[in-house]
Order: sequence, then C-alpha cells, then structure tokens
Amino acid sequence: MVRFVIRRLLLAVTTLFAISIITFLLFFAVPASPAEVMCGKNCSPTQVAQTEHRLGIDQPILKQYGQFVKGVFVGRTYGEGDFVRECPAPCLGYSYRNDELVTETLKRTVPVTVSIVVGAAIMWLVIGVSLGMMSALRRGTIFDRIAIGVSLVGASLQVYFLGLVLLLLLVYSTGLLPAPSYTPFTENPGKWAVGLILPWITLGFLNSALYARLSRAQMLETLSEDYVRTARAKGLTKRKVHTRHALRAAITPIITIAGLDIGASLGGTVITESIFGLQGLGRSAVRAVVELNLPIVLATVLLAALFIVVANIIVDVLYAVVDPRVRLS
Amino acid sequence: MRLKIGALTVSALSVALVASGCSETKNESGGGEAKTNVQAGAISYDANDNKAPAPAVEGSNKGGTIGVMLPDGFEHLDPARNYVNVQQLAGQLLYRTLNGYREDGKGNLKVIGDLAENPGTDVNKDCKVWEFKLRTGVKYEDGSPVTANDVGYGIARSFSGDLSEGPHYIQQWLADSNDYNGKYKGPYNGGGDLPPGVTVPDAQTIRFTFAKPHCDMPYAATMPTSAPVPKAKDTKAEYDRKVFSSGPYKIKSYQLGNSMVLERNPNWDPNTDPLRTAYPDGFKFDFTLQADQASERIVADAAADQSTLTWVNVPAPVLPKTTTAGVKERVVQGPTQYTWYYYINNQRIKDLKVRQALNVALDKEAVLKAIGGSAAGIPATTLMSPTVAGFKKYDVFNVPPAGDKAKVKELLGSTTPPPLVLAYANTPRRAAQAEAARKSLEAAGFKVTTKSIDSTNYYTEVGRKDNQYDLYLGGWGSDWPDAGTVIPPLFDGRQITPTGNQNLAYFNDDSVNAEIDRIQSLTDAAARQTAWAALDEKIMKDFAPVIPTNYDNNYTLIGSKVGNAFVSDAFGQTGLSNIFVKP
Repeated sequence: MVRFVIRRLLLAVTTLFAISIITFLLFFAVPASPAEVMCGKNCSPTQVAQTEHRLGIDQPILKQYGQFVKGVFVGRTYGEGDFVRECPAPCLGYSYRNDELVTETLKRTVPVTVSIVVGAAIMWLVIGVSLGMMSALRRGTIFDRIAIGVSLVGASLQVYFLGLVLLLLLVYSTGLLPAPSYTPFTENPGKWAVGLILPWITLGFLNSALYARLSRAQMLETLSEDYVRTARAKGLTKRKVHTRHALRAAITPIITIAGLDIGASLGGTVITESIFGLQGLGRSAVRAVVELNLPIVLATVLLAALFIVVANIIVDVLYAVVDPRVRLS
Repeated sequence: MRLKIGALTVSALSVALVASGCSETKNESGGGEAKTNVQAGAISYDANDNKAPAPAVEGSNKGGTIGVMLPDGFEHLDPARNYVNVQQLAGQLLYRTLNGYREDGKGNLKVIGDLAENPGTDVNKDCKVWEFKLRTGVKYEDGSPVTANDVGYGIARSFSGDLSEGPHYIQQWLADSNDYNGKYKGPYNGGGDLPPGVTVPDAQTIRFTFAKPHCDMPYAATMPTSAPVPKAKDTKAEYDRKVFSSGPYKIKSYQLGNSMVLERNPNWDPNTDPLRTAYPDGFKFDFTLQADQASERIVADAAADQSTLTWVNVPAPVLPKTTTAGVKERVVQGPTQYTWYYYINNQRIKDLKVRQALNVALDKEAVLKAIGGSAAGIPATTLMSPTVAGFKKYDVFNVPPAGDKAKVKELLGSTTPPPLVLAYANTPRRAAQAEAARKSLEAAGFKVTTKSIDSTNYYTEVGRKDNQYDLYLGGWGSDWPDAGTVIPPLFDGRQITPTGNQNLAYFNDDSVNAEIDRIQSLTDAAARQTAWAALDEKIMKDFAPVIPTNYDNNYTLIGSKVGNAFVSDAFGQTGLSNIFVKP
C-alpha cells in the first residue's frame, strides 16, 4: 500500500510539472502582453518595457519558469532598490491585477469553492445514492417510477437554469432565503450554511439525479449477480445480502466517479460561483484568463490538477478498502 | 481616456478619470433621470466656493452605513496607482488631494482647493510655475499634521516604475517628457524625496516649476497623485491595502476582491474640508456580486440593502425591472465622460465622401440597442462628450440616428466604396454591436466583412499603424473638463507612431495640428474651450475621420434609504462624499 501511494504521488508531481510547463508555454503563445493590458493611459514604449520588467515577463521563458519553480520551493525576491518584496515559499507570485500574493488569493477563494463542493457533494451522495439504491430494491413500484422521473428531470436541468429559478423564487421574489454569501465556517457555522444553502441545493439536486440513476443501475446489475442469488439461497436475510454483499459491490464504481467529480468540482465550480455571486476559485480563474493574469492562471490550473490527482489517489485507495477483490499493486 | 481593456470584457470597471459635466436633468422612458449637459467647467478662486466646511445637503441625515456593491473590487487604492473612476471616488473618502470638484447634483461643478486653500496660483502668469498653499489644521488618522512635504513625497513616489498605474500628467510635465522617469526614478531608486521641479518653501506651501506652460494644472491637481503620503508611513506595495488616511474615513478592514469596511477618521475636521460632508458613519464595499445579482438585490430593496447602491451598470436582463414604480425612482443615471466612435482608418479610407457616407449610413440606434439601448447611452454626433466643458452640440450630417440610405447614395454618387473590414473585440457586447453595424452599413450599400480580435489584444491590434482594418469601435473619455484631453490625443497626427496609437483613425492634417498648437497656447480657459468646440466641429465637417456612435451613460441603482445620490459629472459614477442614509 505504501509503495503504491508513493508511486502515485511521484506520478502526481510529474503530472503537475508537465501541466505547469504547458500552461507557461500556452500563456506566452497568446499574442498579447499583460504589460500593455495593465499599462495606463498614454503609456510609452519605455513604460510598457518597465512594466514588463516589473512583472518579470521581459526574461526568457525558460528563466521565468525556473524562477517560478524556485519560488515554489524556496521563495523569491521581487523588486529592485528600496522596493524589494519577499515572497515566501511556496511563492506563486503576485497577481498582475492588484499585486496580491497569489497564495493569499488562493486562501481567499479555495475555501469558498471547497465549501460549495463539500456541502453539495454530501447532498448529492446521500440523496442520490440512497434514492438510487432504494429505487433498485423497489424496482417497478410507484416509488421507483417517481424516483426515476424526478431524476430524469434533474439530469436534464442545468445549473444556470435551476440556480436562477431558485434565486428568483426564494431570494428576490419571496425573500425566504437570504442572498447567497460566503462566511468562513470558523467565523459562524450557521451563517456559513445559510449562505451556501442555495448552491448546495442546486448542485446537490442536479448531481443527485445523476447519482440516483447510476446507483440504481449499479445496484440492479449487482442484484442479478450469481453470488447474490447464492447468498440468498444459503439463507441470508435480504437485508444482509443487500447491505453486506450487493451494496458493497455496487458502490465501488460510484466511488470512482464521485472522486473524480469532486476533484474536478474543487478545481472551480465556475457557473455555480458566478450565478450565486461567490468568489471562488473558478471565478478567479476565469477573470485571470480574461486579464492575462499568468500567476493566478498558473496557480488555479495547478491546483485544479492537484485536486484531480489527489482525488484519483484517494479513489484508488478507497476502492481497495471497499472491495477486497481489488488489490493494490 | 481610452477604456481599459478589462472594461471590454468585464465591464465592471471603466477607467474613468476626471472630466466635468453639468446638468439639466430630464426624465427618460427608461426610468430614473437622464442628464443632458452643458458644462461650464469653472475653476473657482472665489473665497466662498473655497470655504470649508462643505455646504450642508438639504434633508441630510448623519449616521448609518452606506453599502456599495462593485463586482470584483478595486485594483488599486494607493494614490500613486489610482486611475479608475470608482477607485478615485473611494479614494476621496480616504485622502485629500490638492484640488477637487465641488458638485451639487444640479449641474454645478467647480474645481476648488481641497487640501489647498484655492486651486493654485499661477505665479508668473505663464502657467509654468504653480504654487499651492495648504489649509491649516488638516490631520492624518493618527492626529499628525498634513504637510506640503508629504504632498511632494506622494508625487515623488509616483515616479517609481513599481507604482506606475496612476495618472502621469504632473510627472510628465515636471520631467518635460512622456518618459517621465528616465532620469529621476523616485525615492525607492536613489532619487530624493522631492522630484526635480518641486520645492517646498515651508510646511504649508508646495511649488511646481514646469519647463513648458501647463494651464491645466488646477485640473491635474485634482487627481490622486497629489494626495499626501508621509514618508514614515510609506509601506510601498503594502500601501495599496492600507492607505494612511487624511480624509474623513479610514480603512477598518480590507479583503481584496471581497470587501472593504471604512470607519470614521476621528482626526478629520470638517472645518478644513470644503468638499466632503461625510454624513454616514461608515461605508461597506461588497466586491463579491456580479452586475445582475447586485442589481436584482437593489431592485428587491430588502431591508438589509436599503442603504446600499451599485457601482455597476444595470445589465440588460434586469433593465425591464427598473422601469416599474418603486424602482424607477431609484435609478441613478447620467452621461459619463466617454464618447464611443467607430474609428475610420483614414490611411485606408482616403475618400472624404466615403467617410461621410459611412457616417450617414451607420444605424447608431441599432448599435446602441445591441448593448442595452438608452440605458447604455445616447447617439452621438460630436467628438467631445457633453460632459466636457465648452461642449457644443452640432450635427454635421443632420440625419436620423438610424441613418439615411438616400443620403448615402447622394454622397457617394458614382463612387463605388471599397469593401470594408470591420474589426471588433470578441466579447458578446462588442460582437452584437459589430453585427448591428455590419447590417446597417450593408443595407446602405457597403460591403462589410467582420473580423473578431481577442479582447485582451484589441487595442494593441488596432493601435498598430499598419493594421489592416477599416472600421473599429473605441471609447475615449476626457481626464478633466477640457477638450485638451480629447482632441489632441485622438486627432493630432504628429503623435502617430508605429504601435500603441491613441489616434486610431490615423488622422493627420497640418491645419488641424496647427490649430491644436494654437489652442494649447491659450491661457484663457474660456477662450480655449470655445476654440476646442469649434475645432471639434471643423474636424467632423471637413474630414469626418470617425463616426461618433454614442455618448456613454451611467445607469445604476440605489436602495430606498440612500440620500443625495447623483452621477458625479467629474467621475461618471455615483459620488460618495456627500451621500447620506435617510432616517
């Protein structure tokens, strides 16, 4: 197990390096200079050059990349003369837009995205998987039909539609819920939950619909397996067969997909954040792309990749825990 | 002032800078009030105008907190880096500048002394040496006095290449060069604490000596560059997040991109301040909401938002809700200092008749409708915005805003116009405008191909002298109420360079260049304003180098308990200095 995890971690580091190089190269392939974008009115070529120098983008790409990597591991010094700034490791640079340390931007935006995703994931996993499993066990009943119908509707909807409808109905028209906002959990857990309830409901409902259908299909398939019939023939109760044998087998592919979904969502729930006015990682990334803000782009791309890579590792480990048939090698 | 690229895509922050306006208000069908302006743009030396405290606002109330919703927040608040209109309006709460604009929301705008006792003395009557006497008793948030040395130091640090985002007028005038920090690079790079040309005879006096006359100095001194920064409190890059207050408020908390809370500066004395009444106990800026969410919340007017206003134009989907009773009274609208033009590339379209025909053919209403109609602006016929002092309304072609196909034919006669390439920034708004423009021009007989350009690269691309486009949209706003910040940058052909042009029509005419020189040498402001207005009309009449498309409009919302909210003619956005919370 340890060797497996170490190997996956090394692969993760390699992946992140590769992504950072690709992002760097792509950024410089864009035929626009962030210095020109930032430079104010009547900016002379000298001032554009000064701005490029200040941003460090007047250096060869390889040198810039080397400085970036160095900054991540040992920190960097920015500026000249009396205007020197130390950027401690892990230094991801300063935002071109407002000179904020990128690590500070991440500290501000990541908790928002994590809060949205964790809450919504709990909702979609608990509701979706339970509904799917129960539906499978009651196949053909009214409950099953209603559950399938609702999940079909949910699976057909989009975040930008349901989110806006809920906002209009519950916030702007009736005032039943306060406008979505983010309050740190450590500051006020109640306010944190109330502020995020709408994004949770929206994302949770839409994804639980998909998970309900997936869980139902997996459970039905498992219930038709020979070993389930054998277990029943041996006299095990329905409840034991369903929970100890069928559920365990049916849940493994769901764990894989849930891990990847959560990992990808942590990289930025752009539409959800935009609809509900939450300043998460996704919105920050979109804005950075529009403004050619390389340090933020690079940091968010790397972080999104990190989330997916880590989610994969966790899924692989969980897979083995849940299903003993799977051996880590 | 050209709009910043970000405004093309994000539309949250328009780079504004100072201009002036004036106003006679009138109702418009869109809800709220729209202004049609004819501004005098006076620099007032009248002792009564320059007297502190600021005049009381009728019906005002002290106390409460004003909320401001602004998507994505500020880029910079450091006075050396502050060049965006909303940032400047927020900056007014935190720091004083040598001069400022007194406005009453009824069209009266005057440049008066803020930190200074008056808008500056032209010592030798040649606009080369300017002296400002500071008011006594002005204090920072720690109770220490504001001195002329601090003003000088604030200007000195603005020479630093690390703080280059702010306005550069005073620096360029002091250095007598556009590359203002070629020699003196500010105090962080071995320079003294006062830039060459700035002297401080005593703690209350600061003097500027320029190589050439700069009669606009009273206007330039309204910009944040002239705010005082005590050397001992200069935290360099960190100053952007925690400016040392000399204004009525100080920063209580500031989370970039999230929120900023201002509280009273106990050492601010209203008896030293002729511009700010500072009625609210504090301000709370919310940077987390986008335009639609912020607008929806103010439309709903829930109790928590009743003393809040938006600093972003109402987006098209929410516009219909702003015309209903109970909401339309809470629309704050008025022209900004920007005019939008379709620049005609005069290097490629050399035939005057074709340029005139293009002016007549374009359906300005359709182009405007593509971005929200009257809420976004009104069709333009002049080069200057109505907010520029001396603005004179004229219409050379005298055709309806929707265009006149018959007149196009008449103008073109037997001339076959060349096929045109219309370039646009690839944002939804600009694409919609480009399509509307293409349709109207083709309906009038032109052949038009549209060409999309990445929005981050748009002005770089059309700013190349050898660009291969015939028509492209661009916005420009004056920095202060004098067309000297409009006509020369856009129409002085001697300023055309291979790249980075502001003169996007690539218009170059000797007679116009000579007239620009003549007007700039006039020391009498009124004469200068009249001459600029005449030149504005002459350029359009004799050369038609651009198609004035629309005057930009501000269209924002306030909660039901916000009092004295009006569009600042100087900044094109709702001002905060004299706003109040209704009881």
